[in-house]
Amino acid sequence: MTAEPVAVDVVVVGAGPAGSCAATALARRGHSVILLERGPFAGSKNMYGGVVYPRILDQLHPNWWEEVPIQRWITRRSTMVLTDSQAMTVDFRSQHWADPPYNGATAYRPDFDHWLAQKAEADGVQVVTSTTAVGLLRDEAGRIVGVRTDRPDGDLRASVVIACDGVNSFLAKEAGLFREHQTAADNYTVGVKETIALPRDVIEQRFGVRGREGVDIEILGGTGGVNGGGFVYTNLDTLGVGVVLKLPALAAQQQRPEEIIADLKAHPAIAPLVEGGEVVEYSAHLIPEAGRSMMPTLTTDGMLVAGDAASMCLAAGIWLEGVNFAMASGMYAGEATADALAAGDTSAPGLAGYERRLGDTFVLRDHDKLHRAPGLVLSDRVQHQYPQMIANVVERVFRVDNPQPKPGLRRIVREERKRAGIGIRDLARDAWTGLRSFG
Amino acid sequence: MTDHGTPSHRIVVCWKWVDLEGDARRAGVSAADEAALETALAMTASLDAPTAEVVVVTLGPPETDPVLRRALAAGAHRVVRIDASVDLPSDRVAAALAEAMNDELGGVDIVVCGDYSPDRGSGSVPAFLAAELGAAQALGLIQLTVDGRVDASGAPVVRALRRLDGGRREQLTVTTPAVLSVEGSVATLRRATLAAELAAKQATIDVVPGPRHAEQHADSIRPFRPRTRVVPAPEGQSALDRVRALTAAGATSAHGETVTLDPPDAAARIVSALHEWGYLES
Ligand SMILES: Cc1cc2nc3c(=O)[nH]c(=O)nc-3n(C[C@H](O)[C@H](O)[C@H](O)COP(=O)(O)OP(=O)(O)OC[C@H]3O[C@@H](n4cnc5c(N)ncnc54)[C@H](O)[C@@H]3O)c2cc1C
Repeated sequence: MTAEPVAVDVVVVGAGPAGSCAATALARRGHSVILLERGPFAGSKNMYGGVVYPRILDQLHPNWWEEVPIQRWITRRSTMVLTDSQAMTVDFRSQHWADPPYNGATAYRPDFDHWLAQKAEADGVQVVTSTTAVGLLRDEAGRIVGVRTDRPDGDLRASVVIACDGVNSFLAKEAGLFREHQTAADNYTVGVKETIALPRDVIEQRFGVRGREGVDIEILGGTGGVNGGGFVYTNLDTLGVGVVLKLPALAAQQQRPEEIIADLKAHPAIAPLVEGGEVVEYSAHLIPEAGRSMMPTLTTDGMLVAGDAASMCLAAGIWLEGVNFAMASGMYAGEATADALAAGDTSAPGLAGYERRLGDTFVLRDHDKLHRAPGLVLSDRVQHQYPQMIANVVERVFRVDNPQPKPGLRRIVREERKRAGIGIRDLARDAWTGLRSFG
Repeated sequence: MTDHGTPSHRIVVCWKWVDLEGDARRAGVSAADEAALETALAMTASLDAPTAEVVVVTLGPPETDPVLRRALAAGAHRVVRIDASVDLPSDRVAAALAEAMNDELGGVDIVVCGDYSPDRGSGSVPAFLAAELGAAQALGLIQLTVDGRVDASGAPVVRALRRLDGGRREQLTVTTPAVLSVEGSVATLRRATLAAELAAKQATIDVVPGPRHAEQHADSIRPFRPRTRVVPAPEGQSALDRVRALTAAGATSAHGETVTLDPPDAAARIVSALHEWGYLES
């Protein structure tokens, strides 16, 4: 005997940042919501580099900083360019980020995501853990009417499904929302991270911070021959050290990610920071790196896609922001769904308020502006030739060659550009792309 | 407390909640405890008594509630939490469990426990509990069945199978009231339906006050590891021979002896044998 399927207004799949914010927005509008999570608790299966920018939470949870479980507030941001034997760092510190309303923070995902899901639960969302959505339910007309879970009698009927199941979303694929080229391996990077334990005071001495202050180091270069980037983040008594690697490049180079992290940790600029630490965790996860060009159709009849499931992560070199884009897109998906339910139209046109909201806010505006950035940042020139040129230029500027007089900067740049094999046209083209993206 | 009416039979399952990592979200019970619940559920199904109920009792702080809700979702009819610290010694845990079973549940027919917990894993609570309840005990079982038959007092007849040394098995017929403990391999706890999972979120957990503090505080909670001891290198040509030599599998035990005696005489014989073999000192 099979029981009647459970029915709610909305089922949100995935209790990551996108899912919890979508569910919260809906519950606050009085809708019955089930938030499904395959892990034993929200965040238990989730990893990332380590810095969240929760400003968007001002809208959902004002004064969030009074309770959010963070590790350290980021007060120092460094951008490092590495070659095999050189390092150049632009280091910025602001005490404005050490006090409310803060800017970014390192946080562990099992803590941060769990907290967000608990907030959703407090708003009336039913969070169902250890439960995986394994497929979509459709009515005779083919319209999506819920999800099938891996539990016995596990069908869950809903007027709307919001897929927040993260990168490589099976639900979005099953709904036919991705075109083939959008899921090509070229669009993804793999992020791998070691969590390295060190005493709190050692971290504070090595990174020049106190109390709850923290450091975010983004690295260009240092990933062997594989296009990508690296990072070092400070938690209270651990460091997050990792690399983000372009998938096809990784396969072509036949290198293993853990070897690349090992090389990064052995670099003279990084080794003193991690020395003596004990690796307590190793994790890896895909990143939808290509941004705008790999975003699926965002709505269909009875379903929306948000967060990494919709490739909302912004990966643009100096910025790697996925959690805030996930929270915002989830929240807007929830709000648009509430509008559609109120209007009694949950077809794709009825749910169109979602894309409108994304287009009016940073979510799609930043992606639109920066749509060329991922390609530029992961290009061979930016990855291999510019770091070498920049490091050589700086080395020569600061090298004292007495009794030779100091060379002029223009001459050094010209010589080093040629030495790195960078054509003037390519330089100009990249500068223009960079200016249009970041300018 | 909720009124559940009087069940025809009651099987109580004891769960030991253990937080090894200092993170309640990752805390839980052993596979043996889960197997105990599954066994109890299967037993009530074969009792053919619609009002038979399974009650899960645990001892711990409010952080224990999620695992009790799991028990409800899987099919337990009722859960009781004895509000107490989890660092009590086994005898005091057993006393608290027995008190709750007598006072709160009005006595029990059958108690099923797991035969190890994730921390110490010595499985001593079921034995203490049997003593507290004045019940029969059969511990470390690998099979547990009721086939619907009842004894003269109307209590179900329980059949159990226990692993013995040398790959042998011992079949037992246990009279109730009885405390039984099962190995983790006996059964896998069924997965709750979605509807049951949702219902369990709203269900009531009966909470009864329990002993507050341990007389002795455990310095740390960690998995139990037996002490290492020196074992001479085994003799044998092949790896299999050496494993056999190490485990004494297949060998006839020098201490083997089958006697048929009344329980008090059997107990006395066991104690004297343990003296003879040097396990007990006079
Ligand atoms: C190495 C690395 C470093 C990163 N660094 C940063 C950073 O520093 N800052 C930043 O902002 N972002 C960073 N990101 C990106 C960020 O992690 C993601 O953009 C963000 O987590 C997306 O959130 P989400 O809610 O969309 O998806 P996820 O966080 O992936 O959450 C998806 C949830 O859905 C659940 N789920 C999946 N499938 C199912 C299913 N079928 N049924 C039920 N549940 C399911 C998962 O268990 C998970 O809980 C990084 C990513 C990586 C890999």
